Amino acid sequence: MNVFISGGCKNGKSFYAQRLARRQAVEAGSPLYYIATMIPHDEEDHARIRRHLTERDGWGFTTLECGKNLLSLLDDPQVVPSGAFLLDSVTALLSNEMFDERGEFDPDAANRIRGDLTEFAAKTGSTVFVSDYIYSDACEYSETVEAYRQGLAAADRALASVCERVIEISGGMEEIWK
Amino acid sequence: MILIFGGAYQGKLDYAKKNFDIKTVCDCSDGAAPDFAADAIYGIEGFVKRCAMRRYEALTGKEPEKQVKRQSPESVLPPLEAADWFSERRKAWQDKVLIMTDVSQGIVPMDPALRVFREMNGRLMLRLAAEASEVHRVFCGIGKRVK
Repeated sequence: MNVFISGGCKNGKSFYAQRLARRQAVEAGSPLYYIATMIPHDEEDHARIRRHLTERDGWGFTTLECGKNLLSLLDDPQVVPSGAFLLDSVTALLSNEMFDERGEFDPDAANRIRGDLTEFAAKTGSTVFVSDYIYSDACEYSETVEAYRQGLAAADRALASVCERVIEISGGMEEIWK
Repeated sequence: MILIFGGAYQGKLDYAKKNFDIKTVCDCSDGAAPDFAADAIYGIEGFVKRCAMRRYEALTGKEPEKQVKRQSPESVLPPLEAADWFSERRKAWQDKVLIMTDVSQGIVPMDPALRVFREMNGRLMLRLAAEASEVHRVFCGIGKRVK
């Protein structure tokens, strides 16, 4: 089952998603993949990645590095498309594609990512997507940041529409929307 | 009255049109005052923001850093408190669909005028939710009746 999870920061989304993905793998007897979306830029990022790897240690995840071009993952013959995937997060993936290392802005990234994500859902069928709910604040942002929010919302809505289940996590608790 | 709320870009208007009989929509997201001749009032937070900018100016005597895109086309100044303005016009919106963005989460804005906006929007949403016969929340394109 494809599942879309969103909610505020530090509310327990990742932990919830990890358990759900593992359960899907165990029930189907299929491999369990973690799609790591962060592209490390400095030592702080590397340290964060090491911490995340330690936290996932023992869960049975095979980590797949993929900061960009999500669909290229499925070209790897080692990767079984019917496996259970955890993509954490849609937010980072869009950010990697929309702003490159030099901070250059790609206005087409949002549409591309939206297509990639829904196609990935269709080609796999057992993916847990994690995004961030960043739509209820009163701040005003620059045009590119606003385009990013709008693009992420469009990706979220497309995923919520194709996934069999949509869950909002707040305070570690689930609210089932679909 | 039916209140529909949710974050920005969540599909609140689509949800409203799909589920309720809406032929005409008044869009206030650029700051315009609601015209209750329409079946639905959308982007109420835009009107609230304009009220908040005036309130900030009245309180501090300073021009707010952020101005809503459109300045008032009317000669009438926006009210100082959006919730009171709505209460005074209860009869006009009793059978309408009111749609607004929830801006209550996230960090407190650095800009003091936006802090006024954030609080004023919250007060109005509370008051409208209390008065509404139905309240719906929209999340990633999916709506749910919460009252």
